[in-house]
Amino acid sequence: MSYLIASSLEEALTSLRDGSGKARAVAGATDLYLQEMPYGLVDLSFLKETTVIEEKEGLMSLGAAVTHALAASSPLVLSRARALAEGCAAIGSPQIRNIGTIGGNVINAAPAADAAVALVGLGAKAELVDINRETRTEAVENLYWTHNRSLVDSSKEIMVRFLIKPCLAGEGSAFTRFAARRALALPMVNAAARVKLEKGFVKEVRLVAAPARPAPTRLLKTEELVIGRPVNGETISMVEKAVAEEIEVRGSLLRCSARYRQHLVGVLVASALKTAATRAGTSGKAGD
Amino acid sequence: MILKAPEKNIRRYGKAEGTGYQSPEVWSKVTGKAVYGIDLNLPGMLYGKILRSPYPHARIKKVDTTAAEALPGVRAVLTGAKLESKPFGIAVEDELPLAVDRVRYIGDEVAAVAAVDLQTAVQAIKAIKVEYEELPAVCDPAEALQEGAPQLHDNFPGNVAWQRELVRGSPGDAFTGADLVVEENFTVPAIHQAYLEPISCVAVDDPYTGITLHTALQSPDAVRKIVAGVLNYPLSKVHVSGPVMGGGFGGRVYGNLKVYILSALLAIKSGSPVKIQLTREEEFTAGRPMIAAAIQMKMTVRRDGTILGREADIITDNGAYSAQAPWVSKTVSERNDSVYRIPSIKTRVRLAYTNKIPTGQYRAYGNQAANFATESLIDMAAKKLGLDPLEMRLKNCVREGDITVHGLQIGKCGLDECLKAAAKEIGWDQKKEGRGYGLSVAIHANGSLVFDKNFRGASALARLELDGRITIFTGEQDYGQGTHAAFAQIAARTLDVSPAQVTVESKETKTAPFSTGALAMRQTTIGGKAIQLAAEDLREKIFKTAAELAGAPVTMENGVMCSISGQELALAEVAYYNHSATSGLSMTGEGKFVPEESDYDESGYGNISIAYSYAAHAVEVELDKTTGALTVHRLVAAHDSGRIINHLTARGQIYGGVAQGIGMSCLEGYLFDEGRVANASLAEYKIPTALDLPEIVPIFIEIEDPAGPYGSKGLGEIVMVPVLGAVANAAADAAGVRVTGLPLSAEIIYQAISGWECEQ
Ligand SMILES: Cc1cc2nc3c(=O)[nH]c(=O)nc-3n(C[C@H](O)[C@H](O)[C@H](O)COP(=O)(O)OP(=O)(O)OC[C@H]3O[C@@H](n4cnc5c(N)ncnc54)[C@H](O)[C@@H]3O)c2cc1C
Repeated sequence: MSYLIASSLEEALTSLRDGSGKARAVAGATDLYLQEMPYGLVDLSFLKETTVIEEKEGLMSLGAAVTHALAASSPLVLSRARALAEGCAAIGSPQIRNIGTIGGNVINAAPAADAAVALVGLGAKAELVDINRETRTEAVENLYWTHNRSLVDSSKEIMVRFLIKPCLAGEGSAFTRFAARRALALPMVNAAARVKLEKGFVKEVRLVAAPARPAPTRLLKTEELVIGRPVNGETISMVEKAVAEEIEVRGSLLRCSARYRQHLVGVLVASALKTAATRAGTSGKAGD
Repeated sequence: MILKAPEKNIRRYGKAEGTGYQSPEVWSKVTGKAVYGIDLNLPGMLYGKILRSPYPHARIKKVDTTAAEALPGVRAVLTGAKLESKPFGIAVEDELPLAVDRVRYIGDEVAAVAAVDLQTAVQAIKAIKVEYEELPAVCDPAEALQEGAPQLHDNFPGNVAWQRELVRGSPGDAFTGADLVVEENFTVPAIHQAYLEPISCVAVDDPYTGITLHTALQSPDAVRKIVAGVLNYPLSKVHVSGPVMGGGFGGRVYGNLKVYILSALLAIKSGSPVKIQLTREEEFTAGRPMIAAAIQMKMTVRRDGTILGREADIITDNGAYSAQAPWVSKTVSERNDSVYRIPSIKTRVRLAYTNKIPTGQYRAYGNQAANFATESLIDMAAKKLGLDPLEMRLKNCVREGDITVHGLQIGKCGLDECLKAAAKEIGWDQKKEGRGYGLSVAIHANGSLVFDKNFRGASALARLELDGRITIFTGEQDYGQGTHAAFAQIAARTLDVSPAQVTVESKETKTAPFSTGALAMRQTTIGGKAIQLAAEDLREKIFKTAAELAGAPVTMENGVMCSISGQELALAEVAYYNHSATSGLSMTGEGKFVPEESDYDESGYGNISIAYSYAAHAVEVELDKTTGALTVHRLVAAHDSGRIINHLTARGQIYGGVAQGIGMSCLEGYLFDEGRVANASLAEYKIPTALDLPEIVPIFIEIEDPAGPYGSKGLGEIVMVPVLGAVANAAADAAGVRVTGLPLSAEIIYQAISGWECEQ
């Protein structure tokens, strides 16, 4: 077994290539540790590229190895991508948030991962580079292969950062979740919304919920219904119903019945939308 | 060895007051120095592992251990067929150390190995080949009692492990022409004690001393007796040496007998110490959780709120073997009846074998399950009659001088004060808009004489050390609940020294007096009384010896003796004098507390305890009607446990017990998928986190009870009992509908609010 704390992206990529499929990228190891450990591990937690949070040329950039604790408390994330701060703050426990990362959360590909749902809600894109130094940029929701399986092969490819359009004036975002207990509990449902208002009417909107499919699910039909409307009581009840009709969720012995989850998903998406709209409405020039 | 006489060193200690006394034992825990069972590691120690059944019910056709025995590093392999043991048990003898021809639940012990390291032991377990023939299983207790159900034990026909029918008063008359009858079916799932440290044991077999089990137990002597029986060893050749205990809550009264027996058998066979430590998954799948109960209960009430009678038909889920489930079922079926003046009752309780995990005991012994049912019915009746639930409880609750329907004699009793104090503190008369409120009351015995008629009390030794300190020897265990601090205080008060001068020793059965152990809320009242008596006896001896030494009668204050001539003597001087005079004997006081014989008949009618503790809890909750999510904001816990010896640890008991009560009310419970435990981890068996707990407000109604030492009574178990009823009543108040199955999850509450058919 070998463990490399990479000191540069270049070194990390070389090490993965030399591992010929037997070495794997790792960040907080909160997920990986529970699985069978690979022969070689390449730790990305200390690279500048994977840990920086910045806004440049109108785009926010968040390193893939940014921890949940860091994202949840970053002033930039709190003011420009509030849904992500809320999603990260809801994860596990302080110990998990201090080492678990947003990149790991996406690549672990759990269907209702909190950071991942928030990222999809915000419309984040991920920037990846493989061992042949080829880069690609993908919408986060397109990185899922099947349940709990990512399309990212962490023995060949490194996720470097997420790119997010910051929420500016007239825009707001929010994240909601519902679980059996207030910490250390996977959600029965989680949801995220991002909305842009113009003169009090919805100009742009993204609504996302999970767990339904392998990836956090965009609610395209409901989004369409909402466009052009004010976010008032009537819209909120309409969204509750529309979401429950648009998305199909399953029940499980450990979480809840399908029927209850179907009810919750409507309530949670509507509540995320409402909060996001309130933030959009009250946001000054600096965003929500 | 020549001992030098101590210097004249007169030290005056503060009065033995200090109801916030903190035992120095605490420091070894918080600094990480305490050695728990799982920390133990002896030279040459082997690691034991148990092979368990993957089927809920199957016949064992063949067990082949050849491959396992051939593995390098494997030192012993055991199978049921080779052991030739007789059935053993706690309440009922229905278990074998290892299954011989049949397995009865997923987790049943089939074989055990000891190897030089854990990996090898795990490999060896995997190398054992077992051929099973699956049998039809029954997992639902009501189904198990029906005709034609698969049978678990040949000598328990109809799958009835234990049953009881009881009529007191004239329930028939009480129900005819009643003003009001309220009736409901209540369910409580199986609950794990969820102690932090999984059970482990290092067994050592020594040709001279016999078997020593290094394991932390609430009742080491009870376990030692059973283990000696199974091993066929003389009792004096089986010892328990207790490391620090990482939580018990009833789960370590008998702990996991299989672990102790199998580690001992492996140690005997291999000739080396053997450690078996359960994984968390094994704790959840092969531990001894508290029974699930289905309680069908009805109550008849006069228009003015007077309770006239109640009937109950209870089915409890034993699982595959009995452990303490019969006794717990008995408590479920009767203890709670004595909190009110109920003239007539009729009860049937049946404990059914099912192909599931066997069950044991949990803090409060099932009294909390009955509390959930009864207290719910009280509120239902109050609502129907338009009465205030507080008034209805005050009208019916027991008071000093009462004899309850089961014959309990109510001595000192502050139950109505508890109710009034809890209601006042929660703001019963100034309820907030949008919040729900609930009340609940409880009674709990301080050690039940029914437990063992021939062994109803406790004994203790108090020894004066050469340096003037005091050592107490007791079999009563402290696993964090603070009894040793209380014992030190009781002895200190009797001897007029500081509690810091007293050390309590309980961990070695070789030296500790035989004891029933830390259960049934008996420790402070019964164990503490024995310590008081031992200290009194020692005090007499000290006076006598000191008078001899001073040549004149003496008095004592703050640990210093003074003769009438004014000569001062330190305890160490007296100890040394006695030491010289007797060539090395210590001055030792003996305390034996044997509660008076009291009458109880075949049906259990009678005064089964020397004292009872009382409590009333009041709860404030908030309900999110869009999701059904319940937030418990505040819980006021008013307790009459007599004079409180140590407020620090007493408050700790309330915080912890209420936390467990909230867990049981709102979150916890076994989930089964056809006999398989579906939530066998702390991730999925959800106990509350700090964020899930309300503000907890303890109130002590300190009415001295002469039964216990210095007017004190037990607290450890009752703290959990009223939580369930109070939370259920507050939830019903907030929701406008009542949920009758625990836990009160958001989903269940939402289903009730929206009138859904129950889906689960
Ligand atoms: C007790 C506990 C509670 C939890 N609670 C929650 C919860 O409430 N909500 C929730 O969403 N999650 C929860 N999780 C899951 C987990 O903490 C998160 O998914 C976490 O974000 C994973 O990040 P990590 O850095 O630890 O990933 P790791 O375990 O290091 O990696 C996960 C996977 O991603 C790959 N990987 C990681 N980083 C990169 C990268 N930069 N490039 C390429 N591949 C990479 C690894 O190879 C591995 O396959 C919990 C976990 C635990 C143990």
